[in-house]
Amino acid sequence: MEGAFRKIDVDIYDEDVLQEHELYEPDSRDPAAVLDDARAKQTSVRSALNKGDTVSALSLALSDYPFGLNVDDAKVIALQVVLSILNTTKSTDIPNVLKALTPEQHDVLMKYIYKGMASSGSDVNGNILLDWHEKLTEIAGLGCIVRTMTDRKTV
Amino acid sequence: MSNALRPYLATVRATLTAALTLENFSSQVVERHNKPEVEAAKSLEVLLNPLVISRNENERVLIESSVNSVRLSIKIKQADEIERILCHKFTRFMMQRAESFVVLRRKPVAGYDISFLITNTHTETMLKHKVVDFIIEFMKEVDREISEMKLSLNARARVVAESYLTAVRD
Amino acid sequence: MAPETFNLSQGTPLLAHSFNADRSQVAVSFNSKDAQILTRSGSSWTPTELLAEHDKVITSIDWAPQSNRIVTASQDRNAYVWQETPDPETGKIVWKPTLVLLRINRAATYVRWSPNEDKFAVASGARAIAVCSFDPENNWWVSKHLKKPIRSTVLAIDWHPNNVLIAAGSADMKARVFSAYIKEVDAKPPPTVWGSKLPFNTICGEYTSPSGGWVHAVAFSPSGDAMAFASHDSSITVVYPSSGVCTVKMVSLPAMTLTWTSEQSIIAAGHDCQPYVFSGNEGGWEGVGTLDDVTGPKAGGAARPGVGKLNSAAFNTFRSADSRGQSSSGAGSEVQLLTTHQNSITSVRPYEFSGGVVSKVSTSGLDGRLVIWDANEVSAVSTKLGGLSV
Repeated sequence: MEGAFRKIDVDIYDEDVLQEHELYEPDSRDPAAVLDDARAKQTSVRSALNKGDTVSALSLALSDYPFGLNVDDAKVIALQVVLSILNTTKSTDIPNVLKALTPEQHDVLMKYIYKGMASSGSDVNGNILLDWHEKLTEIAGLGCIVRTMTDRKTV
Repeated sequence: MSNALRPYLATVRATLTAALTLENFSSQVVERHNKPEVEAAKSLEVLLNPLVISRNENERVLIESSVNSVRLSIKIKQADEIERILCHKFTRFMMQRAESFVVLRRKPVAGYDISFLITNTHTETMLKHKVVDFIIEFMKEVDREISEMKLSLNARARVVAESYLTAVRD
Repeated sequence: MAPETFNLSQGTPLLAHSFNADRSQVAVSFNSKDAQILTRSGSSWTPTELLAEHDKVITSIDWAPQSNRIVTASQDRNAYVWQETPDPETGKIVWKPTLVLLRINRAATYVRWSPNEDKFAVASGARAIAVCSFDPENNWWVSKHLKKPIRSTVLAIDWHPNNVLIAAGSADMKARVFSAYIKEVDAKPPPTVWGSKLPFNTICGEYTSPSGGWVHAVAFSPSGDAMAFASHDSSITVVYPSSGVCTVKMVSLPAMTLTWTSEQSIIAAGHDCQPYVFSGNEGGWEGVGTLDDVTGPKAGGAARPGVGKLNSAAFNTFRSADSRGQSSSGAGSEVQLLTTHQNSITSVRPYEFSGGVVSKVSTSGLDGRLVIWDANEVSAVSTKLGGLSV
C-alpha cells in the first residue's frame, strides 16, 4: 500500500514523550507483599471495627494503600475494606471521624470515595458515598478533589 | 428539586469546580496548534484522572479533565422504556443544535447520554462559576423535563384511550 | 485600605502584565497577538502604544526596569525584545522590536529578564528553555537551550539573584534548578547553596510536586537561598537545598502564580481568584490568610457577609430552588463572586518595595482586572465553601 507510511504513529519514537509508568514513583514493595499487606490489614481493620473504633480502622486502611500497576487484587481488597468502614459509620459521626484524620489521609479517602462511585458493584450505596464526599469536601476543600485528579498513584 | 438530588448535584458541582482549573495550553505535539488535550489525548502528562460521580447504577456523571479542557458526560435517569425513548429524543434534539449551547459536544462519550466539552476559551470568556451553574441547572432541568414529558405523554394516552373507549361504549 | 482595582478590558482575559520602573506604564497581553502599553492618568489607564509583531497569542511579558526594554513571548514560537527608539523619519520615540533567534519549534510560554538584564530566558512547549543573550554584531538575540532532562512543556521560570541560576517548573510535575551560565556574559559566579561549579545546563536540583500536579509557578526567595513552587495539586512547596522541603497542601483550588514578599513570606494566587499569603521558614510553612477580604462589603456589589463565597442573590436562588422546589429562572445573570477578581488570577508580581520587603503586589486576572494589593493587609480566609451550595 502506497500511503501506508502516513498511518505510522511517529510520535511514539519521540524519546522525550512521557510514558504512563514514568508519571509517578512506583511502589517499592513487591506485588505479592502488597497483597499480603492488604489481607493483613483487612483482618486488623475488622477487629478495630468490632471494637467500634472507626477512626483507627480508617486511618489503618488509608495508610500504605496499594497503588500503581500489577496490584489489582490488593486494590480490590483495599477498596472493600474502606467501603465497609464507610458503610458502617453513622452519618452523624462522619465529621468527627474526618477531623481525626490527617490531610494526607483525607486525600487518600477522597480517592477511595471516587473509586467507590466509579466501581459499579451492588455493595456500594451511592448516597452514603455522596454524604461522605460532601462532608470531606467541607473539611479538606476543593484542593483535596484536585489532588485526587492529579495524583497518578490511583487506588 | 427533590432533597435526594441535592448531595448528588453538590458533588458534581464540587468536582466540576475543581476540574475547571484550566489554562491556555498550546499543543506540544503539533506545532502552532492549540487543541483540547482531553480530546487529543496525545500527551499523557497533561491528562488527569477521570472521576465518576454516581447516585446509583443509572445516574452517573463522568468528569475527564486535562490542562486546557474538561469533558463532562451525564447518564440520565431512565427508569423504563418510555423514559429511554424520551431521553434519547431529547438529547438528540439538543446535540443536533450543539452550537447554540456552546459547551455541548455533538456526540456523547460511550456509555453516557450527553457530553459537554468545556475548554479554557469558555472559562475565559464566560465566568467560570457561571459555567458550573449552567451544567448544574441543566442536570436539574433534564430530569424534570423528561418526567414532565412522560406525564404529558401518559395524560395524552389516557385522553386518547378515554375518547376511544367512549366511542366504543356508545 | 481597599485594593486598587482597574477594570482594563471589561472581561477580556489578561494573560500577563508587567509594569515599568516608575509604575507609570504597564504592558499587558489581552489574550491576543498584540501587547498593549497603557499609561496611567490619575485613576485610569489609557492605551498609548500597541506592540504588534506576533501572530499568535502573547503568553508572557516582562519589562526590564533599568534598561527599559520589554520582552514578549508568544505561542507563535517567537519572542521579541522591544526598545524605545526614535523613528528615522519623524523622530518620534516609538517601540521597535529586535529579533530573537529562539530556535524552538513549539509555543513560548513564559519569559523573564535576568536580574542584570543582560539575558532573558524563554520557557517553551518544545520541552526546552532558551537562554538568550545579545549579539551586537548582528543586532539580534541568540539563544542556548536547556533541554535535558525536561520531559514536558515548561510553564514557568525564575532567575536567581546571582544572574546565573534559573528555576523552572514544567508539566512533567517537576521543578528544577539549572545553571544558565553563559561565558560571554557572566562573570564566574560565587558558590551558592545550590552548588559551586556551575557550567551551562548543570542540574542543581530536581523536585517532584507532592501529588503529581503540573508545576505552574516557581520563584527564588529574595536571597536566592530558597525556592518555592506552586503545583496543580493545590500545594505550595518551599525547597531549602541544605535543610529540606516544606509542603503546604491548600484547601482551595490550585495556585497559578506566586511571588516572595520577604524571606519568610509568599503570596500565591490562581484559580481561587484571590491572593493567599503563606509564611514560614526552614522549620515549616503555613497559610496565614488572604489579601482579599471577601466578607467585607464591596463598593459596587451589595454583598452581605455570612453567605460564603457566592453573592447572596445566587445563593438565595439556589436555596429557594432547593427548599421550595422553585425553578431558578434567570439565575446566573446576577451571580457574582465575592472576590475582587471574578476569574482566575494569571499573574502576581511585586509592585512596591519598602525596607527591602515587598509592600504591594499587583495581580492580573482572566476577568480583565488589574489589582494592586497592600501585601500587609492579610485577613483570615473565610472557611465556609459557599460556592458548593446547590
